[in-house]
Amino acid sequence: MTIEFSLSTRQREMQAMIHQFAEAIIRPEALKWDRAHEVPHEFLRRIVMMSQTMGTSVAMGPGAGDPKVTEMDAETRKKRQVALTTIISAEELSWGDAGLLLCVPGPGLGGPPVRASGTPEQKKRFFSIFDDMSTELRWGAYALTEPGAGSDVAGIRTSCRKDGKDWVINGRKCFITNGARASWNVVFATIDPALGRGGHRAFVVEKGTPGFSVGKIEDKMGLRASETAELVFEDCRVPEENLLGGEASYTTKQGFMTAMKTFDNTRPLVAAMAIGIGRAAYDYAVDFVKKHYVLSRPIPRYAALAERLARVGRGLAAARMATWHAAWLADQGEPNAKEASSCKAMAGLASIRACIDAIEICGAEGSIAAEHQLLEKWFRDIKVYDIFEGTGQIQRIVVSKRLMPDLKSF
Amino acid sequence: MISFEPTDDQKMVRDSVAQFAERTLRPRIREFERERCLPDDVLQAAHAMGLPLAAFPEAVGGSGLGVVTQVLIEEELAYGDPAAAFALSGPGAYGWAALLLGGPELGKRLIAPFVGDGGHTRFGAVAWGERQVSRDRPGMVTTAERAGAGWKLRGEKSYVLHADRAASFIVFAQVDAAKGWEGIGAFVVPRDAKGLRVLPRLDTLGLDAASFGGIALDDVEVADDARLLHGGDAQRLVSFFATQALLVSARAVGLARAAFETTRDYCEQRKAFGKPIGHFQAIAFTLADRSMDVEAARAMVWRAAFHWDAVGHGAGTPASSESNAEVRAALQRIAWAVSFTLEAAMRAGDDAVQLHGGSGFMRDYPVEKWMRDAKQLQLCAMTAEHADQLAALIALDRPIDAALVLPSAESQNVFL
Repeated sequence: MTIEFSLSTRQREMQAMIHQFAEAIIRPEALKWDRAHEVPHEFLRRIVMMSQTMGTSVAMGPGAGDPKVTEMDAETRKKRQVALTTIISAEELSWGDAGLLLCVPGPGLGGPPVRASGTPEQKKRFFSIFDDMSTELRWGAYALTEPGAGSDVAGIRTSCRKDGKDWVINGRKCFITNGARASWNVVFATIDPALGRGGHRAFVVEKGTPGFSVGKIEDKMGLRASETAELVFEDCRVPEENLLGGEASYTTKQGFMTAMKTFDNTRPLVAAMAIGIGRAAYDYAVDFVKKHYVLSRPIPRYAALAERLARVGRGLAAARMATWHAAWLADQGEPNAKEASSCKAMAGLASIRACIDAIEICGAEGSIAAEHQLLEKWFRDIKVYDIFEGTGQIQRIVVSKRLMPDLKSF
Repeated sequence: MISFEPTDDQKMVRDSVAQFAERTLRPRIREFERERCLPDDVLQAAHAMGLPLAAFPEAVGGSGLGVVTQVLIEEELAYGDPAAAFALSGPGAYGWAALLLGGPELGKRLIAPFVGDGGHTRFGAVAWGERQVSRDRPGMVTTAERAGAGWKLRGEKSYVLHADRAASFIVFAQVDAAKGWEGIGAFVVPRDAKGLRVLPRLDTLGLDAASFGGIALDDVEVADDARLLHGGDAQRLVSFFATQALLVSARAVGLARAAFETTRDYCEQRKAFGKPIGHFQAIAFTLADRSMDVEAARAMVWRAAFHWDAVGHGAGTPASSESNAEVRAALQRIAWAVSFTLEAAMRAGDDAVQLHGGSGFMRDYPVEKWMRDAKQLQLCAMTAEHADQLAALIALDRPIDAALVLPSAESQNVFL
């Protein structure tokens, strides 16, 4: 090992390919999708074919959905730098359009918990539906948040009780990406709220399960091409084979740990997506200044602009390094909870800053919506990156608990 | 590949420096501060470990370990005592200037006295800064004029590290007035040159163990071969400053880590309202932010050092010029690392005192020293403002404008 920061040939090629695609094909459509609140299936099919050709999944979840990756042993993951490669791709695709990235078919955020906690049969059953999507596109989703429990994951109220060979689920989940269109949702529920984390159970709830319905589809500030759904469970009956990991695995606090462990993988990924948007805004501002740079103008105006640009650039560079570090640790098979939260917190802030400053640098032009002028869209898209997958404040709670082992709760 | 793991050799070097910092430097920081220097035994120990020569190429008497290894060393040294990292003897900036601006041959000649026995007693200095602003033209007030076959230097240089103890100086002066920053030359001037007067040592805010001062040059005559930086290559000067600033930013990481860890430990012990103050969110979140700063800053410094080594500048023997795209990209990484890290160190020092409360203001605790050191460190080699201009010029595909990027009385002065 040595300290090294050059991408492998494979990583570089993939990055270049996605970048080209993002620039030429995705960008011109992005505003249309934002307005239509969806990405046409035809286009998504193209993305699916593309990721199959590249032999990797640019869909959410490090390698999730790709059966080769799902079954990959630790040594191969380390060698191929699966997590790192995924976040490098994600940054690039997100640079093209973040809304699209969230729409990409595949298990999505539902992938990591199934991979981390599912039995071999469950992995096979729930992942195999993504093997062939040539005739039908499919999604997976992750349903944790509730109207009454956002960041406080331990406080979920959706209930589950065993009834014969089934489990019966009651409750509501909200803000679920792809929740309505998903073939299955990983749903977290509790056998008894009084048991806290020990009472948590994770189920894979399939579309069409009696008692499961979709509530409202949210109207959002940004990421409008992506579907955000409310899920309703009214005496929803799920067979016991759908309890993630099987009943025996819940003798400890594992249910909650499943929810949390997932974040160690997905937070760097979400951080990379945020950086993709931030970099899009930064690149736009750089090009804008280049185009409008007039040599006869007094230097001080440019010195101030230059400093602002540099601040944005270095903020993104710092967040990217933190993100790479967290993903690298994941590939090494080392614990990365602190780093995963750190990079998510840094990336959210740095990218929001990037989008705000880019608009300011470009002046009035910056807030106009047009096919090739997407700053105002990125400004709307980026905000939620400091909120979902754990707010910036939650990330700081995670980090400070790792810094002070005696700190159990505030 | 991307990897955040040092080689086994680098780990060994890092661990031994860490031990030196912990056992020899940290317990004595107030002594160094009071004495305003590092004692002989400390200089000798660092010299014996080969620290001052680690990154220099073997061809000029160094160990050829590269800048990546050097930044690992600098972080650990500064973790022990940021001032010590500056106060150590050895070729330092003087050696880098000789090598990068004068070439391997001159580098070897000027670095030779620092190699082997007795090397620890020697200091070199770079006389760059000036108090006075050049009002009628861009460039320096200090001039070098032709005098027979040689040169005659006139002017006053300030903010010079080791000025009162250096055996030899590399002095920067205006050779061609019409060319501005492109018309700067550099000259090797021995301390005993006729007309050279060492000015009194400055009293500074921080980094007390390091000596900062200046020299006056009253028609100092040097031979023609004393000149380096032929052709007045301002771009090469930018690379020289970037190298120095990168090493300073590695020290900033060490300082920030020391301040953060000490403060974290304090916040776990100090109790208020029945629990450790670290267990209140306002405090814990601040600690979390400083921890993120340290980790990100270190990774940025590593990445910059990796790329600087990769383009050959890390060893002071660049294969390509500053207009090369890879070199420009590496310079931008340095610039980002420098400005982020310098500001992170200042935040760490400031918050360290803040979270210690009234005690932090007292000299019983080291944090007030780190806060002072951080501010002064921000003014060494390159400021965050210079680095930001450098990064932006590269982003905007503009030529690197020396007037914006090189520290001067006109932009901001720095200690070097």
